[in-house]
Amino acid sequence: MSQATGTQGDIALRFERLLGSAGVIADPELLQKYSIDGHIPETVLQPTSAEQIAAALKVANEENWSVAPFGGGTRQHVGHSLQGVDVVLSTERLDQIEAYDPGDLTISIQAGATVSSVRAACAQHRQLLPMETFPASTIGGALATASSGPLRAGFGGLRDFCIGISFITADGLSGRGGGRVVKNVAGYDLMKLMIGSFGTLGVITSANFKLFPLAQQTLTCVCQFETLGKAFRFRDWLLKSPLSPICAEFIGPEAAEYLKDAEPRDPDEWSPETGVTGEKRVWQIAVRVAGSDHALARSRSELGSQVAQEIKRQDEVDFWNRLANFEQRLTSRHHNPMIFQLEVPPAESEKALTAAHESASEYNFVAAIVGRATLGSFVVGFIPLAIDPPAVTQFAGAASAFRGRLSNDSSAVVLRCPREAKQHFDVWGSTPTDIALMQKVKRALDPKGILNRGRFLVG
Amino acid sequence: MFSFGTANKLRKIVGSDAVLDRPEDLMLYEYDGSLARGAPRYVVFPQNTQQVSEIVKLANREGLAIVPRGAGTGLSGGSIARTGGIILAFARMNRILEIDVPNLRATVQPGVVNLDLSTALTPHGFYFAPDPSSQKACTIGGNVAENSGGPHTLALGVTVNHITGLEVVLPDGRIAQLGGKAGAAAGYDLTGFFVGSEGTLGIATAITVKITRLPEAVATLLAIYNDVQDAANTVVALTTEGITPAAIEMLDGWTLRAVEAAVHAGYPLDSASVLLIELEGLREVVDEQAEIVSQLCGRTGAREVKRARDDHERQLLWKGRKTAFGAIGRISPSYYVQDGVIPRTRIPETLRKIEEVGKKYSLTIGNIFHAGDGNLHPLILFDARNEDETRRTLDAGREILEFCIGVGGSITGEHGVGMEKQDLMCTLFSDSELEVMRRLRNTVNPDSVLNPQKILPGARTCREAIAPGHSSVEAPVLAGAEQR
Repeated sequence: MSQATGTQGDIALRFERLLGSAGVIADPELLQKYSIDGHIPETVLQPTSAEQIAAALKVANEENWSVAPFGGGTRQHVGHSLQGVDVVLSTERLDQIEAYDPGDLTISIQAGATVSSVRAACAQHRQLLPMETFPASTIGGALATASSGPLRAGFGGLRDFCIGISFITADGLSGRGGGRVVKNVAGYDLMKLMIGSFGTLGVITSANFKLFPLAQQTLTCVCQFETLGKAFRFRDWLLKSPLSPICAEFIGPEAAEYLKDAEPRDPDEWSPETGVTGEKRVWQIAVRVAGSDHALARSRSELGSQVAQEIKRQDEVDFWNRLANFEQRLTSRHHNPMIFQLEVPPAESEKALTAAHESASEYNFVAAIVGRATLGSFVVGFIPLAIDPPAVTQFAGAASAFRGRLSNDSSAVVLRCPREAKQHFDVWGSTPTDIALMQKVKRALDPKGILNRGRFLVG
Repeated sequence: MFSFGTANKLRKIVGSDAVLDRPEDLMLYEYDGSLARGAPRYVVFPQNTQQVSEIVKLANREGLAIVPRGAGTGLSGGSIARTGGIILAFARMNRILEIDVPNLRATVQPGVVNLDLSTALTPHGFYFAPDPSSQKACTIGGNVAENSGGPHTLALGVTVNHITGLEVVLPDGRIAQLGGKAGAAAGYDLTGFFVGSEGTLGIATAITVKITRLPEAVATLLAIYNDVQDAANTVVALTTEGITPAAIEMLDGWTLRAVEAAVHAGYPLDSASVLLIELEGLREVVDEQAEIVSQLCGRTGAREVKRARDDHERQLLWKGRKTAFGAIGRISPSYYVQDGVIPRTRIPETLRKIEEVGKKYSLTIGNIFHAGDGNLHPLILFDARNEDETRRTLDAGREILEFCIGVGGSITGEHGVGMEKQDLMCTLFSDSELEVMRRLRNTVNPDSVLNPQKILPGARTCREAIAPGHSSVEAPVLAGAEQR
C-alpha cells in the first residue's frame, strides 16, 4: 500500500519545485515503465545532480513517502515485495564519467552511467573495469546489488576495486567513503557498507574505481569431467598449481544448454528433463588465462590433457558474455525459474552443489548451475519441470531444503522467483552476519525506513 | 578506593597475573609507534573472547574507556588510552586457531603476529599477503583495526581484501559474528565496514583471513637513478604501460644513505634515488617481465638496474626498505612520518613540493614511498625538545598533506587517522560527510566506551580548524620512533 497522504498531483508538484518539470514524471503511462514487482509508483524523479537527490530525499523523508532508487531496472525483482512505492528515484540523468585518469588507472563515474558504456570508455585506453552485469545495468545498481561475474575470480569483487563512493542518506545528508586514490584509510570504509545494501541505506550518486590493464591476449581452456567430484578434484589441483587464471568457471551439465551461441526460436524446443535422462552428462570448468605468449603457453601445458576445447578471440568473448548473462538467459527461456546466488566456503562447493541437485529434484525442479569454482560463488537456477511443475509453496519447500543442507557460513539468496512464491518464505535466507547490528546501521542512515521499504533482510 | 575495586573486579575476570595497575608498569603502555602519549589506569590481558566481553561490560558499568592494543606499533596513536581507562592488550590471545588449506582460510586470535602466520603457512605453500614493514612485531588484530597495507598491497590489496569473517565484542559487551569463511554473505558487509575502523566499532577476537599461494618465482630489481625525478617518471611509466609488479618501493638519496649506514642493503651511496621493484608469478613470466621492466627503467633514466641473484640478496634489499624508519631513528632524535596518498601521475610534482616545503621550513625531509600505489612516507627530522622546530615540523607535515588533498589524494594510506590526523579530516571531508560517519559510530558505539576521541574530529574542532590563526590541535601529536 502507498504511504503517500497527498494525491498524485500533489506529490509531483512538490518535487517539480525542486527538480523542475523535466525532472518529474507523473504521466501514468510513463510510470508503468518503472513498476516494481507490480507496484506502479506515484511519481518518478530524474534528478541531474546529487544536490537534487538530497533535496528530494529530504522532502520524502519529512513526508514519510517510500522511495525506491532505480538504475537500469535489471535487478528490481530481487528481495521481498516492496511495501508500496511512492517515489521512484531514477539515476538515468546522472550518467557522466566525472573524471578518468588513465595514467593513474582510476575513474570516477556517476551512478546512472551504464556499466557497458564505462567499460567501453576504458577499453579505448586498453584498460579494464572488471564489472560484469546485464546490458542495461548501471554503476549504482551494480554496486547496490553487489553484482559480479566470472572475472571476480581474477580481479576480486566490487569491494576489492571500488575505491570511493558518494551517496545521499534517506534524510538527505551527503555521505562519502574513500576517495580517488587506490590506497586510503581515512575514515570509515563506507564503500563496503553501501555495496550490496540494495538501496536501503542511501542513494548512491557516484563511485570511483581502480582499473586494470587490459590483457594483451587471453585463452580459454574448457576442461571436461565425468562427475561433479572429478570436476572439483581438478579445481583443488588448480588452486595449488602456480597458475593464476582470470576466470575459473564451473558449468554444470544442465547449464550448458543456456550457454549455446544460438537462441532456439521455440523455447520449448528443449526441456530441462533431457539433461537428467540424457545419455552423457558432462561437468566443465572453463579456465581463462591472460598474458604474454609465454604465459599462455605455460598455462596450456600445465592444464595438459584435461583440456577438451580451446576457445579464442571473438568466440571467447561471446562465450564469457553468455556466462556473465546466465541468469538472464535462463530467465528468458523459462517462465518461473527460481535463481539463487550461492556463496559457500570454497571447499564446500561440491557438497553444496550436490545439495542443490537433491533439493531441486525433491520439489520438481532441475538445477542448472554455473559459478566461480575457486571462490565458492555460484548462480544456481532451479528450473520447474515442464511435465509436473511445482506448486507455489514448493518454491519455499525447495529453498528450505537446499538451505538446510548448507553450512552456517553459507548464504543462498533467492535472486528471482515468482512473485506469488515470495510470500511463502524469506528470499534472503540466513546469513552468518549479525542481524541486530545490521538493524542499527539501517536506522542510522534511514531512520524512518523510507528506502526500499520491505525489500531487504532488515527493514 | 574506587580504583582498587575495579582492579579486583578485573582480576576476577582474567586472573591476578593479567592486570597491571602500578604506575611503573602502566608507563610502558602510554605510547605506540607515534609520539602521542596517554596514561591508562589499567592494562588487562584477556585470554579468551568471553573475558573480553566481561571486561567490556565492566567498563560500561564503571564508566571507563576501553582501548584495544596489539603490539603498539601503530603510527597514528590508535592504541593510545587518550582518556585513561583500560588498555586491552592481546599478547595472550595469540593462537592460530585453524589453518584450513582446502578453504584457503586461516582463523587467528587478534594477538597473532603478522609474520608468525605467514611462517606457519609456509610449509603448506601459502602466506598471509598484507605485509606492513612492522610485520615482525605487529599483530593481525592491529592490522584489522588499521586496515594495514605494506609494499605488496600494490598487487594483492590491503588487509580488508583478505578478511572474510570476524568475531567481535561490541561496545556493550555482546559477542557478534560478522561473515565467515565464505567470500561473501547475505546482508550488509559489516566485516568490511569493521576493518579499518581503528577500534571504534568493536574488538575483533577471532579473525578469518584468506591465505595466498606462494608464487612460483620472484624477481627483485634495484633500479638506480642520478635524479629523483627520473625515478618518479619510471613509476608513472610503469603504471601507464600497464605493468603491474607486486611492489614498487622508492627511496630518495638522503634516505638510502641513512639506510646503508645502518644495514648495508646494497644501495649505491652516490645515487639520488632507488626503486625496489618486485615481480611475482610463473617463472617464465617473471623473467620476461624483469626484462621489460629493466628496459623501461633504462628508457626513463635509470643509470643501472640490478637483479637480486638469490634469496639472500633479495632479503637484503628488502631489509633496507623494511628497517628504514629504524635507520632514521639512529640519526635523528625524532621524526615525523607522513602517510599521504596521491594519484600516481602526480608523483613528480609532489616530490618537488616536498623539497620546497623542506626548504621553506628549514627541515630535512627524507622520502620513502610505496610508489606503486602513490602512498608517500616523507620523514621530517626534528628534535622534539626544540619547540620552534617542532612547530615548523607540524606545519610542514600539514602543508604536505594539504597538497596531497589538493591533487585529489588522501591524508592516510595505511597508518590510520587515530588522534594524529583528526583535524585534517575536516579538510578531507565535508561536515555532512563527517556527520554520516559520526552517526554510524554513535549507533554502534553510542557512549564512546571503545577507543574514544579517535578518527572523527569533534564537531567543534572542524569549525576551529578553519578559523585562521587558531590551531585545533590540543597538544602537539607527532609520529616518531625514538624507541625503536
